[in-house]
Amino acid sequence: MAIVISTYELCRYYRRGPQEIRAVDHVSLSIARGEFVSIVGSSGSGKSTLLNLLAGLDTPTDGDIRIGNDSLTAMTRRQRAAYRAQRVGMVFQSFNLLPYRSAVENVELALYFTQLPRRKRRDQAAAILETLGLADRMGHLPADMSGGEQQRVAIARALVKRPELLFADEPTGNLDHDNATAVAELLLRLCEQGLTVVMVTHNLDLAQHYAQRVIRMHYGAIVTTGDGSQPR
Amino acid sequence: MTTADLIGIATGNLRRMKLRTSLTTGGVVIAIGAFVAMLSFGAGMQQTIAQEFDQLGLLHTMIVYPNGRYRDIEIVPDTSRPLDSAALETLSRLPGVRLAYPYERFTVTAQFADTALTAYTQPLSTTALSTKLYSDLVAGRYFFDDNAHEALVTREFLKDIGVNDADSVIGDTVVIAVDVVSLDSAVSALVFHGDLDSIKARLRQIDEDSLFSVTYLRRIGMRELNASLGRFLHGYLNARERVSDTVVVVGAIERSRNRRRGQPIITTIAVGQRLSNAGFSGGPLELATSLGSGQLFDLERGSTGGHYAQVTLDLEPSAPYAPIRDSVTAMGYSVFSYAEEFEEIRRVFRYIDLALAMVGLIALATSSLGIVNTMLMSILERRREIGILKSLGADEGEIRLLFLFESGLIGLFGALGGLILGWTISRIGSFIARSLMEREGVTPVELFAVPIWLIGAALLLGMLVAVAAGYYPSSRAARVDAVEALRNE
Repeated sequence: MAIVISTYELCRYYRRGPQEIRAVDHVSLSIARGEFVSIVGSSGSGKSTLLNLLAGLDTPTDGDIRIGNDSLTAMTRRQRAAYRAQRVGMVFQSFNLLPYRSAVENVELALYFTQLPRRKRRDQAAAILETLGLADRMGHLPADMSGGEQQRVAIARALVKRPELLFADEPTGNLDHDNATAVAELLLRLCEQGLTVVMVTHNLDLAQHYAQRVIRMHYGAIVTTGDGSQPR
Repeated sequence: MTTADLIGIATGNLRRMKLRTSLTTGGVVIAIGAFVAMLSFGAGMQQTIAQEFDQLGLLHTMIVYPNGRYRDIEIVPDTSRPLDSAALETLSRLPGVRLAYPYERFTVTAQFADTALTAYTQPLSTTALSTKLYSDLVAGRYFFDDNAHEALVTREFLKDIGVNDADSVIGDTVVIAVDVVSLDSAVSALVFHGDLDSIKARLRQIDEDSLFSVTYLRRIGMRELNASLGRFLHGYLNARERVSDTVVVVGAIERSRNRRRGQPIITTIAVGQRLSNAGFSGGPLELATSLGSGQLFDLERGSTGGHYAQVTLDLEPSAPYAPIRDSVTAMGYSVFSYAEEFEEIRRVFRYIDLALAMVGLIALATSSLGIVNTMLMSILERRREIGILKSLGADEGEIRLLFLFESGLIGLFGALGGLILGWTISRIGSFIARSLMEREGVTPVELFAVPIWLIGAALLLGMLVAVAAGYYPSSRAARVDAVEALRNE
């Protein structure tokens, strides 16, 4: 399968006073198009940092990230922003919806950074919410929705621009079991439709059950890479 | 992100922080209000002066003097070309000059009904009267004939004779008279002044023994010359003859504060010639001046070929004054240009405007601190939003623009409010000033004006200051680390 994203000796070090924290330490990995990869590990293992690096939100201290044939690390800040705007969708544990915007407005926000005309943005946002079963919640503010609904709005926001890559940072962390399962099922379904999904979670069972590949991190390094239960 | 998106997001954010936005905008409103009110005062004054200059045609008027006569207090020997009818002809042919006419005035005694008073009289041709300089006729009509025995009076003259209604004097007659001296009376005084006894007494004082002393003879000669000159002047000044003319008042004009524009009584050329050619009517000082300039016996003035004190040039409205001034100067005359005087006034006003603007700008600078504070607080509160926008694909430039739009909108709304406030203050100021002027008996003038340029300047300045104030906060917003911002939540 074609490699959509890969890293080579990727490092991200922080300095906290005299101490150097190696959040990501010489990580090399490749993710194929349409693959569902789960990154697991304990708190502080560097999995979220790795996700942020892959999403172009953070810049590595050393090493390289390649998106197809392009080097993400060689891109300018503006190019990285364009990469996030057009090719990447992100989902967070705490949903990160703007509280004063309705569900449809939150979803529409992701299209502000594309060339889509204004009227089409609203139509597209409404369509994706409808697909995710939130047709009756479009005008609602996040505060008026359940955690599961909010996360589905966040996923809709990530998907509305039809990205190649979906990065989900603990997407089920704030959800109960049923909602967590529903979100994971949704991600799996998207993956089956060709989307590449990279999910960070501390829930090993969830990772093993839904992901095709599980990467285990410890102190910034990949310690094991194993297959999930999903067929490749 | 399009401009419309930026405006939409910025407006929405400002609307969410109603109180804070209102207070910050309020600061800008007050600052711009002060700026507009203060500058509207300067603009109003300038506009009023400009209107007056324009209405009176002063901007198209030039006064030509013989060299060395420009400053009355300093009598400089006049070595220039005389300002005579030949010069008048040359001046009138200069490109851009519509009309050149002499300006003369002389003192008369005016008898109106039972009231007699001393006033200046100015003869003017019908052509000169048709210029904008004399366009503000308040009653009656102008002369139609340069030979008519007619006069125009100013409202000020009417006030002096106790008449309020200008229309009431139209058709009335005024006797204008001058007391002139003649050479006959002076010579007569020189020859016949004093009795035989006084001549005998002076002769007795002569020391026959010293008659061969040159010094003594010179002293006697000087004494006799002084006495003769004294007798001549005494006769010249005191043996006066009255020359008068009766004229019909056909019109009344407004008289400006500028005395060059119109003397209390304006007569036709014929009346003026008759009175001014009658003889020398001036006082001792004018006599001394005439002696000094060697023009004592050159008293025939007006259009008869004599020398003029001034010539007024009426210029084409489109003619630039500088080349005309240069041409006149090159001819050997001095020039006074109202346009240049107006430029000088405008220059002074520019300094006044600058000073007033500085006060407004200080207020604006203070309000800009409020904008900086509001924006910085906003960034602290919206770190998460900035992080989300960045994760969705916003680059630093878009984040900076978003915050600049917010501060710019505060500036725009503040400037709009400030314009309304400034305009209101200027209207109140104008009302108070006009009321005070009316109470003082002064013709009310508009002291405040809000011209288009001031509206534009206030809007632009409000927005510029706000954007400048928002620059640092917006740069900080652009530099917010998205990972940190999202992690904090």
